[in-house]
Amino acid sequence: MNYVALKMLFGDRPKYLMLLAGLTFSTMLIVQQGSIFWGLMTWSQSGITNVNAPVWVTDSNINQVEEIKPLADTTVNVVRSVSGVEWAVPLYKGVQRARLRDGNYEQIALVGIESSTLIGRPGKVLDGNIEELRSPDAVAIDQLGVERLGGPENIHLGTTFEINDHRVRVVAIVQTQKSFQNFPFVYTTYERALGVTPEERRKLSYVLASPVSGVSPEELARRIHEQTGLGAFTEDQFGWKTIRWILQNTGIGVNFGTTVLLGFIVGMAISGQTFYLFTVENLPQFGALKAIGASTGMLARMILLQSFTVGSIGYGVGVGLATLFGLTAAGGGRLPFKETWPLLVGVAVALLLICAVSSVISIRKLAKLEPAIVFRG
Amino acid sequence: MVLRRLSFWIAVGGIILTIATLWGANKKVAPPPPMEAPPQNPYPVTVAAAGIIEAVNENVRIAPPVSGLVTKVYVTVADHVEQGDPLFQLDDRELRAQLQTRTDSLPSAAARIAEQEIRLRDVQDQLKRLQSVTDRRAVSEDDVKRKWHEAEGAKRALIRARADFHLAKTERDEVQAILNRLTVRAPRAATILQVNVRAGEYATVNAIEPLIILGDTETLQVRADIDEVNAPLMVPGSPAVAYLKGFTDKAIPLTFDRIEPYIVPKRSLSGDNRERVDTRVLQVIYRFERPSFPVYVGQQVDVYIERPVEPVSGQDHNRSENGTPPSNISRPLSETEETP
Repeated sequence: MNYVALKMLFGDRPKYLMLLAGLTFSTMLIVQQGSIFWGLMTWSQSGITNVNAPVWVTDSNINQVEEIKPLADTTVNVVRSVSGVEWAVPLYKGVQRARLRDGNYEQIALVGIESSTLIGRPGKVLDGNIEELRSPDAVAIDQLGVERLGGPENIHLGTTFEINDHRVRVVAIVQTQKSFQNFPFVYTTYERALGVTPEERRKLSYVLASPVSGVSPEELARRIHEQTGLGAFTEDQFGWKTIRWILQNTGIGVNFGTTVLLGFIVGMAISGQTFYLFTVENLPQFGALKAIGASTGMLARMILLQSFTVGSIGYGVGVGLATLFGLTAAGGGRLPFKETWPLLVGVAVALLLICAVSSVISIRKLAKLEPAIVFRG
Repeated sequence: MVLRRLSFWIAVGGIILTIATLWGANKKVAPPPPMEAPPQNPYPVTVAAAGIIEAVNENVRIAPPVSGLVTKVYVTVADHVEQGDPLFQLDDRELRAQLQTRTDSLPSAAARIAEQEIRLRDVQDQLKRLQSVTDRRAVSEDDVKRKWHEAEGAKRALIRARADFHLAKTERDEVQAILNRLTVRAPRAATILQVNVRAGEYATVNAIEPLIILGDTETLQVRADIDEVNAPLMVPGSPAVAYLKGFTDKAIPLTFDRIEPYIVPKRSLSGDNRERVDTRVLQVIYRFERPSFPVYVGQQVDVYIERPVEPVSGQDHNRSENGTPPSNISRPLSETEETP
């Protein structure tokens, strides 16, 4: 019986292709839009993920990572005084202007990390030695900065440029996750960051802390908040806080949500309609099957098999196309594109739903079908 | 059936491609290990503080008594000086010229005394001669009286000449004293820590930077700044350790000396010469033995002070180790304004 069902499905080439195309593009649209959305969200958290610290301490009213509310210098020691803290180090973060020798200007995200431990430094160094950050005027610049400030001919190890009229020298080129604002990251030591930035009353942006073994980051964040009144978040909590802020304060969520919904509706409309037509056209065959004794349940199973088969194939092709898009158009981090397991599972569920709904329409038709239809011609 | 196979394999390929891509991309990278071990708290519960190493009895910041040109600096950095040793010399040419004038006026004043003495003797002789004449017709009463007055006048003139001489000497001594003041001397035995002045520079009285810093580098102490928020947690006499910046594997054990009773605005230790005031701190002084590795006056250290696990009665009502929320929580640190 299943063989017959599949034979019917693949036998009608134009309808099969039509069904497949509908499901494929629906899948591709949802996956691609969802991935771009998630890619954007990943970029929005790059300020957190690039630093890679377990617990972030800052003002308790902070909304998101790029919104900096500076703290007093002594906060580092206040955090160190909380029990359960293995270490706590200061971090400077802020947007500054860099000027090249040829007069070219670029906004950069300056990150100042504690000089002796270099906690918060990027994990991947493409060129040079990150330890040299401790030498005078040293900075590390990321691959985006190299690209923005004029490519590898202009920016390489030893190049000097200015940050707020202070001369700095590139000692390392690092790999970072791009940020939402798309500013290149420039790393230097905390002390030097204080030196090159304009005078302010407070400059400490964040305190990074790590729990001693046996204390979870969540527990430590809770303790720090309770004992000091400061806002303390684990990496994940801070990331989600940032995402929530972006969804509430920008149109990004609505925008992508609408597109995904449209993809879903269009996919459902096309496949539902095509599948219905397909069933109607094959009514005589189904009638014949019923006439030779197939029950409605068996026909329903056939319909479901057909629908899920084409659904699975459509899903595979769609997801593959979306991945190909990600690898080619958005390869190397040029565009925000990040597929995730939850998204893929969600799309699979959505597709199952589309197939199920389309099948139900057809099954209803079949249930009312009388075997006599075969003889009406 | 070609179509079926083709679409099936494309679908399988797509899924495999996606899974492969996802597998590679979603691995979370572990943070790179710290270059040096960050300073770690050796006690179960602690009060952390930023400290600076200084000479015992603090460092002496030498300033000039008057503004003036520096003509000679007698010391270099790391010299040991005894109390009263000269440190530097301010320009004294003008005063030396004055001194010369004053000194040279002395012989003249002395000569005036001699002159007056001779004159007095002369007048007294004459008076004596006149008085010895008994014949009233030869010498009139009037002549004798006039000579007597003349003698008295000469006596007074001599007194004045002596007073003038004394004054001239005092004036000379005054110039000498002011002159001596232009040589700045060490107020006590110490080591020269910093020399910020060179011959030929103009030293002003109100300069921000001291001309010379001296201190006793034999015994050192740590001045630990504790944020005022944490000040109640500090228990006098608690043991502590200090770590040099960037040298965290060796701890320097500290012994408690005293708590400065007055909370001061924190001076930023960022190294910027424009000191920023951002919060107030409690300063605690700890002494330490010189460790085997070199430490220097002015070096920054991270200080960890032990505090008892049980809340200290009368001081520590609001805080507890088990995280029961303090009653007056949610005073974000960034809102504690300082009064400069």
